[in-house]
Amino acid sequence: MSIVSSASPAIVLESVSKRYGSKTIIHDLSFTVGQGEIVGFLGPNGAGKTTTMRMIAGYTTPTSGRVTVAGLDMATQNEAAAAKIGYLPEHPPLYDVLDVSTFLRFVAKIKGVAAREIASELERVIGACRLEAVTRSEIFKLSKGYRQRLGLAQALLGKPQVLLLDEPTAGLDPGQIQETREVIRAFGETHAVLLSTHILHEVTLICQRVAIINQGRLLAIDSPGGLQRASEQTNSVVLEATAPADPLRQELLSIAGVNAVRIQLLPGRTSTHYVECQVEARDGIESHIARAVASRWELHRLERQQPTLENVFLRYVRAGVREREAA
Amino acid sequence: MRGLLAIYQKELVSYFRSPIPYFAVSVFLVLTGFFFLRNVFETGIGTMDETLQNMGVLLLIIVPVLTMRLFSGEYTGRTMELLMTLPLKPWQIVLGKYLGATTILLLMTLATCIDLIPLYLYGNPETKTILSGYLGFVLLGMAGLAIGQFFSALTQNQIVAALGSVLVLLAFWFVGHLQSFQSSYALRSLFGYLSFSQHFADFIRGLVRSEAVMFYLIVSAIALTLNTSYLQWRR
Repeated sequence: MSIVSSASPAIVLESVSKRYGSKTIIHDLSFTVGQGEIVGFLGPNGAGKTTTMRMIAGYTTPTSGRVTVAGLDMATQNEAAAAKIGYLPEHPPLYDVLDVSTFLRFVAKIKGVAAREIASELERVIGACRLEAVTRSEIFKLSKGYRQRLGLAQALLGKPQVLLLDEPTAGLDPGQIQETREVIRAFGETHAVLLSTHILHEVTLICQRVAIINQGRLLAIDSPGGLQRASEQTNSVVLEATAPADPLRQELLSIAGVNAVRIQLLPGRTSTHYVECQVEARDGIESHIARAVASRWELHRLERQQPTLENVFLRYVRAGVREREAA
Repeated sequence: MRGLLAIYQKELVSYFRSPIPYFAVSVFLVLTGFFFLRNVFETGIGTMDETLQNMGVLLLIIVPVLTMRLFSGEYTGRTMELLMTLPLKPWQIVLGKYLGATTILLLMTLATCIDLIPLYLYGNPETKTILSGYLGFVLLGMAGLAIGQFFSALTQNQIVAALGSVLVLLAFWFVGHLQSFQSSYALRSLFGYLSFSQHFADFIRGLVRSEAVMFYLIVSAIALTLNTSYLQWRR
């Protein structure tokens, strides 16, 4: 499990903890996000994703540990670091009484965009986030999708080096989700992006690495593929065959690499079974199974099932909870 | 400096685009007009003394309405997270908002000058006394705004912020009355010194004492410093 990114790190968390009173929200969290890397931050609701984002953005300070963004310590160089961060909080922070372009101009000025560049900078983010139709609208009149995209637009202003996005696609329709992902992907090619979400599919689409956290602890951090490979438990081969149940079970269990077999009769059939085999995570095992079954009986279907990120995620989260309960 | 200016401009736009300040300022102007008519036309005395006194009391109620939104609104609108993560220092946020509120106070004060037209047309008022009274009024308002803004930072609830600052402003206004109950000289002078109304009365009489000017400015500075420290502490 690689906690440190291979690229030069733009975000560094070193043993970061956060306590509110006696309650510890974040336990000893360490990881990095490199320049030119998109890291997905995955966890169930209340896992500590938002608190972590807030600590990186400088909204709250860690109780212990250190957060560094673009080489600047958030505890002492907060303001200089803030100029390098684009942050979209969980709830897009918008002033309802302002109109879209007044709001963006306000943020651009504070981010230090030069007066003569403000117009072109506004045009850039309005184009990227597809806000052209609403530039003159008052913010309170905007739909949820537009509000979310306006939140993203303000984060992109001033060409930040680091982008922190707390559930950036929440509330968007499928077309908008697609466009937003493209914006993030394009930005992530040259910058560092930390993206929190609970949509697992999103993570596999745009993230180079995934950090899974639950109850304030980092459970795993790796590439989506790496996490899937590491999760051997969910490797299985599924097949349908017309054969007597017991001989079929014995035949399958005799194949090296098959650990467990579950057989059930298909509804409405007399001897066609649905079989699920738990197998070791090595290649070629499905062809052994296919040969063994087809040589004696009739094989209708055979499929090697890859572990989905859903399963990987649930396994990590549940295992983490079990470990702590045992402790 | 640009950050401070951006906050200031945003505050002004927010004031002009929300209904509550219009309502508060209208109530203030209508009541000021009413007191002016009563004080000047019913008595026939051509001064602003009584009217400025009434305006001072009205200010204690109007100021919290102008300031209650300043931070409470940022909390409930979840925009505080934006302000605190932009490249801004907390003092820039506090001062930008304060200057915005002060601008509204100045505009409101300017609007009351309409009362001076009949005063100068039909009477012979002392300009210096009026100017001194207005200076006192603005300083009193600035101290009130700083206190109201600090209370607004303490709570998400605008009503609580307004009620809290009204209480504190009334306490500062009436604290001078406690003087007569005190036998100790130190306490008597302390209560006198803390009294908003006693300092304001000097201004109305045409007395611009540097001690009184400093008093209002120091109260403002303390409230703004507390406000800044609170934002820093919240992080």
